[in-house]
Amino acid sequence: MISGLMFPVAIVAVLAAMTLAVARALIGPTAFDRLLAVNSIGTFAIMLLALFGFLTGRPEFLDLGITYALLNMIGTLAVLKFFRYGALGYDHREGDNEGDG
Amino acid sequence: MSALLDILSLFLLAAGGFFCVIGALGLNRMPDLFTRMHATSVSDTLGVGFLVLGMALQTTDWTVLVRLVIIVIVLYVTGAVASHALARAALHDGEKPLLAQPDGTLRKTGCDEIYPELGVRLRTPLISEQVRASVPQEAPAANGEDAR
Repeated sequence: MISGLMFPVAIVAVLAAMTLAVARALIGPTAFDRLLAVNSIGTFAIMLLALFGFLTGRPEFLDLGITYALLNMIGTLAVLKFFRYGALGYDHREGDNEGDG
Repeated sequence: MSALLDILSLFLLAAGGFFCVIGALGLNRMPDLFTRMHATSVSDTLGVGFLVLGMALQTTDWTVLVRLVIIVIVLYVTGAVASHALARAALHDGEKPLLAQPDGTLRKTGCDEIYPELGVRLRTPLISEQVRASVPQEAPAANGEDAR
């Protein structure tokens, strides 16, 4: 009885958290707020994938979660670099040697 | 034994969901970007950790366990890297913390009476030179090394 209940409870909690993060992504005043919310949504989506895989007894969803976790960081760094330089390649005219963004 | 594991797993999954919701609430309620980053780190560490621990108790397949461990390691490492890059980019772009003063130092928060060294550390410049130059009335540059 318990084993049929625990995964739906966690899924509902993660869905509620994801809804709140979507709200912040919509109303966030700066681009960094939206990016932070999108990063958080990605984490919740990974947890949702894993929980759904356990709920349906198909743990193959965990592979999708790993892939999504790797893509999430790459996407965040790419968007940050795009905002910083306006392009994804290195701009030599910028002359910035700090290597951030 | 199985029922005990189920109950423990239920508690862990409920705690993970609770911390996920707490982090998302903080993401909406906190006043500026850096405090929001603090709030999301709660759901990225405690929420994910408890959820994965609760799921790990429910499997008998060791390959699933390995995948869960990989997910946790990847999420912890990439979360720290992405947060660092985000905060650094935001500071460089001119986003100021709420306690920041025009000269780039943090406001004195009454720490001097409790712990003088912490007060000095809080007043050392935090914001990059570019941001400080963009502020109209330029206060004399506070040098943290002299304060120490």
